[in-house]
Amino acid sequence: MTPPLLSVKDLTVRFKVRGAAPFREAAYLTAVDGVTFDVARGESLGIVGESGSGKSTTALAIARLITHHSGEVRLDGEDLLALKGGDLRRARRKFQFIFQDPYSSLNPRRRAAEIVTEPLASIGLVPKGDRRKLVDDLFEAVGLRPEQQNLFPHQFSGGQRQRIGIARALAPNPALVICDEAVSALDVAVQAQILNLLRRLQRERGLTYLFISHDLGVVQHMCDRIAVMYMGKIVEFADRLSLFNSPLHPYTCALLSAVPSVDPDRRARTKRILITGEPPSPTSPPPGCRFASRCPVAEPRCKTEPPPLREVREGHRVACHLVGDDARAPV
Amino acid sequence: MPPDPILEVKGLRVELSTRSGTVPVLDDLSFSIDAGETLAFVGESGCGKSMTALAVMGLVPHPIGRIASGSIRLAGEDLTRVPEKRMRAVRGNDVSMIFQEPMTALNPVYTAGEQIAESLRRHQDMGRRAAWEHAIEMLAAVGIPDPRGRASAYPHQMSGGQRQRVMIAMALACRPKVLIADEPTTALDVTVQAQIFELLKDLRRETGTALILITHDMGVVAEMAERMIVMYAGRKVEDGMVTDVIAEPKHPYTRGLISCVPHLAEVLTEERPDLTEVPGVVPPLTQFGRDMCLFSSRCPLADDKCWEERPPERRFGAGHVAACWHAEEVS
Amino acid sequence: MTDFATPVPPEIEQPRAPLAETTEMFLHNHAAVAGLIVLVLVVLAAIFGPSLYGVDPYEMVWAPFTPPGSEGYLLGTDYLGRDLLAGILAGARVSLTIGMAAAIMSVFIGITIGAVAGFFRGWVEEVLMRVTEFFQVLPTLLFSMVIVSLFGASLPVITVAIGLVSWTAVARITRAEFMRIRELEYVMAARASGAGNFKLIFRVVLPNALPPIIVQAALMVGTAILFEAGLSFLGLTDPNVVSWGQIIGSNRPYILDANYTVTLPGLAIFVTVLAISLVGDGLNDALNPRLRAR
Repeated sequence: MTPPLLSVKDLTVRFKVRGAAPFREAAYLTAVDGVTFDVARGESLGIVGESGSGKSTTALAIARLITHHSGEVRLDGEDLLALKGGDLRRARRKFQFIFQDPYSSLNPRRRAAEIVTEPLASIGLVPKGDRRKLVDDLFEAVGLRPEQQNLFPHQFSGGQRQRIGIARALAPNPALVICDEAVSALDVAVQAQILNLLRRLQRERGLTYLFISHDLGVVQHMCDRIAVMYMGKIVEFADRLSLFNSPLHPYTCALLSAVPSVDPDRRARTKRILITGEPPSPTSPPPGCRFASRCPVAEPRCKTEPPPLREVREGHRVACHLVGDDARAPV
Repeated sequence: MPPDPILEVKGLRVELSTRSGTVPVLDDLSFSIDAGETLAFVGESGCGKSMTALAVMGLVPHPIGRIASGSIRLAGEDLTRVPEKRMRAVRGNDVSMIFQEPMTALNPVYTAGEQIAESLRRHQDMGRRAAWEHAIEMLAAVGIPDPRGRASAYPHQMSGGQRQRVMIAMALACRPKVLIADEPTTALDVTVQAQIFELLKDLRRETGTALILITHDMGVVAEMAERMIVMYAGRKVEDGMVTDVIAEPKHPYTRGLISCVPHLAEVLTEERPDLTEVPGVVPPLTQFGRDMCLFSSRCPLADDKCWEERPPERRFGAGHVAACWHAEEVS
Repeated sequence: MTDFATPVPPEIEQPRAPLAETTEMFLHNHAAVAGLIVLVLVVLAAIFGPSLYGVDPYEMVWAPFTPPGSEGYLLGTDYLGRDLLAGILAGARVSLTIGMAAAIMSVFIGITIGAVAGFFRGWVEEVLMRVTEFFQVLPTLLFSMVIVSLFGASLPVITVAIGLVSWTAVARITRAEFMRIRELEYVMAARASGAGNFKLIFRVVLPNALPPIIVQAALMVGTAILFEAGLSFLGLTDPNVVSWGQIIGSNRPYILDANYTVTLPGLAIFVTVLAISLVGDGLNDALNPRLRAR
């Protein structure tokens, strides 16, 4: 087996909670708690979860855009979390980021071509003379016209801006592209254009995607394997068909059943599992399973004993006490 | 004879004055809704969904916008002709609205209870005590645990879902005839969205309020509404029962909106074809009002006629209306 | 329908630099344009006035207290019989130079401190903001009087004194803008592209933070002119160099007998500072993208 392109081990990110009284120990919010997964070369790995699940924080920590607490992130064998200064900046060409908001992610004072070549200028990768050709190629690849290169961001529509963001990410020819809610801010019709573009680029350039989204429909369409996160932990991890056709964790089941669908068959057959209440406070998570307080089938031990993430089927891992070795969903 | 609809809009035209002249952001819009019915408005941003809501609420932005012609009859009374004083009495009492972003729509300096009670005192002539007690009942009705305690909480002390519940309690406190929900769950997680929709369904059943639901999500339409109107560039392009429209759309835009979203199917397969794209974007405001089908630039079926003449609304079976020259070729 | 390319929009927008748009916005503001015209006239008068007029402002040319208009002296003479118009023209040079130099200096200090504080946050910010607050609570006039009396009343010392007490506003504005902009995604995007801190501060954040700073800098020229006038009025200035404030200060005892000796240079200050404020205000509107979007 070939080694994975990206390997994340026990990644933990925590934030100091502001407003702690003096002389009292600072409170921490653990946004990502011991997350471990691998991404194979050329695949798309999805991370889904609701707000506060830590999915975006995971992406930002892997991309070294926020400070991590502990863990290991290896890209092509190189430990990204250990890199500093110039080494880190040079390594950035191998992993690029596509941001959620096409309006705030482009510098309003730079022309489109300058934005796209920003990674090259920063890393000093391509000599100035060759950049023109590269920009032409990138603009064509993402479906923008060459005469648009000299426009400023506000002269583009939201979808076109996201294309610029994609071209910028592709400029240094990265191996890994992290898409953090890359289509969430777009209108549905434009969203389809961007999703198709991302898939085409993946086929053509052999890209590996780490795809963060709250939209299960989009993740289902884009990703080969999917991790479901809840309050900083991965609760379920499986390949696409296994996860969507036979989800195991009660939270995943509830999440899937909550998605409104146009498919009358699906509407008729899915019984909605309504989860009630609110997630517990992230600053003092419960000792056991973090979903226990809202879980429809929780048992006493769920509240005290944290369930380990274990493999119950080939390639299907779940963190739930109630999933037996027969791999049947408890709800 | 069927009973008169609770809200009847006829030939509504709303104009906006821009730098390049006056443009119709709502162009000859007619629809009606019965008590207890749910009518969904779908379309991309900038197509006039929210403007419809504002027009019904008498909140067309002054002075750049105005109702140029048409009528909005609420239980027989034409709201386009009543003075502002009467409109203030209607707003929040007979017609009320819930917004997309519950954080900014609630006043941060008043508690949840105060904001609900305030509306009751203004419209229903209730005393301070009675209004407060009724506010607590409303909070209980929208499923907020410990309503007496939460009535004294400020918006920032609540979660997004709870804030949206407070908004709903506020909107329903005076038992309005029509409730307009403008993307009520877009800012919320899917599991919370499911809770809010269950709540809206229950409340509608109990109170007989007519619900106008503005959304971009076809899944939501399918789950929540009986009838739907598809808006494009300020015009109604399709109108009909949700089941009919989704099963057999008569306008290419409707078909595009349905098929461009990666839906969760009953059973997923390996098959993942590219999404159907609706290329391009909504035309700029300056083109609104032209005598042509405004969808022509994005339509695969468009021919010369589409570019030269606005298609009239045509009937297809019971209550199914579409404005397309090529409606027969769509599904 | 699977065509991914965006159809050509009917009107292809011409690439327009933000600068062109800003200029257009500015020209629509009549008060600002009027201010700009006045300001240009004042600057021209300061540059060419003294040599064109050709009268030495330091020389006694006529009887003291000759009222304006008489004997060919357009604005009359002061208590020593010096030509007031020559004094105001020469004073314009000094006042404008001090105003500009002090403003440039305070903008430079303010941007540096504000940018570093707003970008790095943490303890760096704490320290720098305490320093800023220290300068902010200093009684400005008193502090500059101390400097001037310590180092002598020469123009460079006065400029530095004014610059030292007026950079705090720029620092605060810069810090606020940096704190806002550094959270925007395009800054994170630049970081993800491999940009270092130096590049992030000066090439990414600063250009976007400039509009309010430019406005503040314009207004500061006016404030600095007023400040210099105040110091001169109190006699804390180089007695051998004529400036507007100095004329007012030296003629102060005779304000009742020959009020024009004080009024006319005062008017010069008023008109110039007003013109600068109008220009600053116009810049504020023109540089504000929210207004521009409409």
